[in-house]
Amino acid sequence: MKFLKHIMIAGLLMLGASSCNDWLDILPENTIPEEDVDYTKISEMYMPVSGVYAKLRTGGMHWVIWPLSIIRDGDVWSGRVDDQGLLVDFGNFKYDASFWGLNEMWNQYYGMIKVANGALTSLDNYAANITSDADRATYRAYCGEVRILRAYAYYRLTQAFGDVTILRSNEQSDLTRSTRNAVERYMLEDLQYAIDNCLKVRPNEATHIGAATAYTAELLAAKIRLNRGEYAEAEALTNDIINSKKFALYDDFYNLFKIPGKLCNESLLECQCTDFGQSSGEMVDADMWFVFQGPPMANMEGGWTFVGITDNFINWAKGRGETIRLETSVLEGGTTTRDGDIVNVQGNTNNTNTWNGKAYTPSNQLTPGRTKYGANNNIRIFRYADALLINAEAKVRQGKNGDEPFNLVRTRAKMPTLSNVTIDQILDERRMEFVCEWGERYNDLVRTGKAAEMAGWSESVKYYPVPLTQVQTVPTINNQPKDE
Amino acid sequence: MEKRILTFLLVVACSVMGLHARAVKGTVVDQVNEPVIGANVLVNGTVMAVTDFDGNFEIANVPDGATLKFTFMGMKAVEMKATDVMNVQMEDDVRNLDEVVVIGYGSAQAKDLTAPISVVKGEQLLATPAASPMAAMQGKVSGVNVVNSGTPGEGPKVTIRGNGSFTGGSPLYVVDGMFYDNIDFLNANDIADMSVLKDASAAAIYGVRAANGVVLITTKHGNKNQAAKITYNGYVGFQKATNVLPMASSSEYATMLLEANYDAYVSLMKASIDRYGGSYADSDFHKWTYGSNTDWYKELLRTALITDHSLSITGGGEKATYSLGINYLHQDGVMDVSNYYKRLNFRAAVDYEATNWLKVGFNGIFSKGTQRTPNNAAWQQAFNAPGIYPVFDEKNSNYPNHYASPESVGFTNNFYNPVATANYHNSKNDVNKYLTNFYAQINFIPSKLFFRTSYAYDFSQVSNRTYTPEYYVSTTQHNDKSSVSKSEATYKNWIWDNVLTYKDSFGNHNLGVMLGHSLREDRYHYLYGIGYGIVDGDEAYQYISSSQESDSRRASDGGTRYRSNSYFGRINYDYLGKYLLMFTFRADGTSKYQETWGYYPSIGAAWVMSKENFMLDQNAIDYLKLRASWGRLGNNAVPASDGFRSVTTGNGSSAVFGNSLIAGFQNNSYFTNLKWEVVDETNVGFELATLHNRLSVDVDWFYRMTRKAVIAPRLPFENGTLLQNIGKILNTGVDVSINWADRIGDNFKYNIGANLSYIHNEVKSLAGNPYIAGGKTYQFVGEKMNSFYGYKVEGIYQTAEEIAADPTAVANGLKPGDFKYKDLNGDKIVDGNDRTTLGSYLPNFIYSFNLGFQWKNLDFMLTTYGNAGGKMYNRKRALRYAASNYNFDRDQVTNRWTGVGTSNTYPSAEGWIRTWNVSDQRVNDFFVESANFFRIQNVTLGYTFRNIKMGNYTLPAVRLSATADRPLTLFSANAFTPELSDAEGWDTEVYPLTATYTFGVTIDF
Repeated sequence: MKFLKHIMIAGLLMLGASSCNDWLDILPENTIPEEDVDYTKISEMYMPVSGVYAKLRTGGMHWVIWPLSIIRDGDVWSGRVDDQGLLVDFGNFKYDASFWGLNEMWNQYYGMIKVANGALTSLDNYAANITSDADRATYRAYCGEVRILRAYAYYRLTQAFGDVTILRSNEQSDLTRSTRNAVERYMLEDLQYAIDNCLKVRPNEATHIGAATAYTAELLAAKIRLNRGEYAEAEALTNDIINSKKFALYDDFYNLFKIPGKLCNESLLECQCTDFGQSSGEMVDADMWFVFQGPPMANMEGGWTFVGITDNFINWAKGRGETIRLETSVLEGGTTTRDGDIVNVQGNTNNTNTWNGKAYTPSNQLTPGRTKYGANNNIRIFRYADALLINAEAKVRQGKNGDEPFNLVRTRAKMPTLSNVTIDQILDERRMEFVCEWGERYNDLVRTGKAAEMAGWSESVKYYPVPLTQVQTVPTINNQPKDE
Repeated sequence: MEKRILTFLLVVACSVMGLHARAVKGTVVDQVNEPVIGANVLVNGTVMAVTDFDGNFEIANVPDGATLKFTFMGMKAVEMKATDVMNVQMEDDVRNLDEVVVIGYGSAQAKDLTAPISVVKGEQLLATPAASPMAAMQGKVSGVNVVNSGTPGEGPKVTIRGNGSFTGGSPLYVVDGMFYDNIDFLNANDIADMSVLKDASAAAIYGVRAANGVVLITTKHGNKNQAAKITYNGYVGFQKATNVLPMASSSEYATMLLEANYDAYVSLMKASIDRYGGSYADSDFHKWTYGSNTDWYKELLRTALITDHSLSITGGGEKATYSLGINYLHQDGVMDVSNYYKRLNFRAAVDYEATNWLKVGFNGIFSKGTQRTPNNAAWQQAFNAPGIYPVFDEKNSNYPNHYASPESVGFTNNFYNPVATANYHNSKNDVNKYLTNFYAQINFIPSKLFFRTSYAYDFSQVSNRTYTPEYYVSTTQHNDKSSVSKSEATYKNWIWDNVLTYKDSFGNHNLGVMLGHSLREDRYHYLYGIGYGIVDGDEAYQYISSSQESDSRRASDGGTRYRSNSYFGRINYDYLGKYLLMFTFRADGTSKYQETWGYYPSIGAAWVMSKENFMLDQNAIDYLKLRASWGRLGNNAVPASDGFRSVTTGNGSSAVFGNSLIAGFQNNSYFTNLKWEVVDETNVGFELATLHNRLSVDVDWFYRMTRKAVIAPRLPFENGTLLQNIGKILNTGVDVSINWADRIGDNFKYNIGANLSYIHNEVKSLAGNPYIAGGKTYQFVGEKMNSFYGYKVEGIYQTAEEIAADPTAVANGLKPGDFKYKDLNGDKIVDGNDRTTLGSYLPNFIYSFNLGFQWKNLDFMLTTYGNAGGKMYNRKRALRYAASNYNFDRDQVTNRWTGVGTSNTYPSAEGWIRTWNVSDQRVNDFFVESANFFRIQNVTLGYTFRNIKMGNYTLPAVRLSATADRPLTLFSANAFTPELSDAEGWDTEVYPLTATYTFGVTIDF
């Protein structure tokens, strides 16, 4: 009887006790709530900035962005007719707004912009706890870095799509696009902030090795100015970089894009990857960026065999007497590289037999134990050679002499120097120097009006269409772009 | 005060129990005087005995004046006043109205139900040689869709009354009070019965867990006054892959590619002939011969063993009952490598009447399973790999085995040696589950008022060990550093239920009330580690800590913990058993969501029309019950929140500076708090028995709307999607089951039955989004869930003139033999705007027919099963976009377009290598195939020998049986099977289903 009583009482107590919600009030496992970030720890203030660089790597280097950036150059094509066939069409200026890759490109760059916006908010939260002037300066420098990366994403978006939306806040509900002109002004504001607040050091001297600095901002701003025809500004910006005497072209063009050239004194921005020098275990890398354009290799792991360099370009380069730049830029099936790696010929002769050599990391430079194509290499984004050629062009456009910066590039490439260089010579130099780099050639062709000479090109295909998915999910996207 | 009430209740309880009693014995026979074996004998609603092999029973103390009730499946219940010796005759009855059905937190007699609940007995599942009991449920119950998997140890996918959630989700399985997502750990021999709660009014008592339907499983218990019943049941058999897809031979492969583009592909064929033999001497490449003609499917397949052995002992005395069991299952997979599933289960259940007011019980199931998984990637690779390279090539220096490299004939990436893929895979799951349940039941007023407290605890552990050896096959298929990874996933779940039940009758009014409270906690943790540089050889020394590169070791962990607090109740009322009403209610509080409490009511009513006076004078209808119900259910199989308000950290959010990582975080402001999905369901149906209780018909119409369905619409400008409670999904349809049972003469009993379900599935709303794209399929308002989306093929371009006349064909440089897509919007140009929905994997119609007979000691059963209305995506073929020189299946070769009029459905050989026809961007309905199938599900023939004299011992019964399980499946899809483990219907990496032929023995000792 007593036993029974105890059970009953225990049961009733349980019913009573559990009726309150305390029982249910537990923290979710393994989730760090945002409010738990300690914004008083100023020593951790770089974390949101590192997060934006991470997004540049994980998003900005999505493999499909790469061909979309370069296949309109005329010198480069998809390389494969049997996979991602739309890339072949896109290279011939036949666009399909429903192509997934287009949407991917749009989303990845906006993803970067959103992470950057979020990082600026986080930095402001840190700033509220800052007491020293030194920390305040650091805060501004960090904000500047984030703004450079944000401007970078907008720059790529305007290159691809022209008019795009300015996302001033992640919560913004009106997603109407702004004109390219307005977006450029917005980028230049961000870059000016960075020029004023970031350290004037070479990226490889930065506290966070390889981070974007005031000079990175100056180069990107110069590129925008050049596109806008604002040559005096472009010259001033590049003069500042050149006159700092901090930068120099890397002597060995062949290794510039390989492991020895990582973060050399020519580098103004790279997407950094690493295998930590370990033969196994996790790598932090740009996923398939290198693999995508890897040729079929005989003695080492190759790639997906995309990205072909046209015969037309190769013949043109040969005709110029190019040596080291041609060897470095083009891998040809059936040949062996100077490092002894054998490039196979593809069975399918409709696919390319030449590949982007600038994405090639020789097997003897891989960390022993690593086999992934391009493992441990960085992706080059901005380099000093660009600053020099912009400087030369800006000068010539203003009736000045551009020989000095121009010939630095020529000399490094083991090409004879020229005097009284013309715009056309500079554009040809850019075509050679930057082949297969971020669509520089297409940008040059468009800004100079030479694009019209390309088969299939017209003003109406200057930009990619807004991805169909965006049109269908964002009602305001087709509104008349705002010039603000 | 409280104490006094308790004392009073107990006094009442004790006084009722202490009446005079007498011993009763007797025999139960059927209408032709054959003994009824296994009939239940009930006193006051409690089973007090079970008849033996001669139909005899004996009960020591039956209260004076008590009524005994005799029940048996397929027979009409008989009630008789207790006498010393009772001879009972029972009659056939296709309906089992007196059957006791387990419902949530209680039980009821079938005739008192207002909801459609289907009961399947454990024995009905034994004929199917399957590892999981749910696999054997296929076709047994209308409204339940079971999609089986061929992978050994992988359970089937089960949906009840359609798919009502974008996030998938399985029914809730309640095993002896414990909640599970699947019951793959049980053996059919462990199960006494399963109740499928199909509609919302029955399931609502399980509240937030019930939206995908509820299956209640009761494991075996003993019966009172039953001599020990010892049964061995076992079978041994073999499995053989069925419907193996014929692939192109080497010369057919060569024909296709060389017709397509001779220059591009000739080097492959010549390389194969040079290295592996054959001849390309003939000037016509159609006549070339190939030394290597590998049939990769054949290389990957074998005939595999399956065997199952089960021993159970069940019995009981006056106070205690028990049931003990042990069973062992071993199933090898048909992939020709080490892959298997084996499982050893122990089970014990004890129930004891400690006093006349207290009953306690314990049951436990210990399940120890081992699953050696196959590498299903090999199936897709085998589809893609042409025969022109062999399995082995002793001339190469590959290690550890000389597997031939696809590179030996010039293939680059995308090509593998599938046999190597299958063999260099070594992954094993050890699954240990302990389910324990203790209960105490206090009877305040015998068979009227009782309180039951029960505590169920489930401890489950899944330990995975994966070893990847060092090997080299080709530059794309190799592993340079051996590794071992281990993971431990631990589940510690418990439920404490307290339930008070009251039943009484007041004149013609019968009332039942149940009130309950339940506390629950689910904890899950995992720990994962990996190390590289592991010595090849034995598992005994393959430890992460023995990794030769200590810096390469990595570990991670994670977990969840959720708690629930629930109150629930049920009221049943009926008048004369004619008008029935049921209300249930559940309030579920859960720690998982911001919003804590959800409320789930239901109501059901039934009218037994055949009991009305106006129906009494007719013979046409023996029984007719109309029923209607409504209920609300929740689905908490959706995450608690989504988005990025939580800061993300880790490598993905950290960047490299120099050669080191600087910790970063990303902070994005998209965030939603989610809540459970809500399902409202209305059910209207009837039960009918006619033609002298030989024909029974059950028909239910249901209308089931999921609201607040969780789906992830695309965020603007982001690849990211954000889960939101914005979907509405309708499932409406009809479940029909028809059974006919009769005798021809005295000894030939037979039954014929059918289970039919029709389901209409439709996405009703996506909160303003016209559609939401997923990775494989799309959701469109007004269409079925998970629709394929792409171009419609109108035909094949036949002539150059046809091409020239079509601007789309000109613009895209098409040739005769290419697909002609429909210009759906009529703008004369085929582009992304001309895509449409192309069907969904969800079937509309599920049907099964069964036929059985028993003639003297011979029994026979035949069941069939089929599905119609679903579509599947032939991803195997569509994957050609990744490499145009992949192999072809034979159908692609023989039906190809070769000139004007040769085909208007299949492209030419050249067409197959053009991205217009095969591309991820050109999803089209050529690749969408019918998932309809019809199958002979199971054929079993058994013969029972009775009363076998063995010296002094008489063996009561031995049954021998032969079973052909799934011997024949008919379908049109170019696949191993239309039963896909992918819920969205992508046919890739599918393990073949098998036909299984077994020989079984059941011995009653």
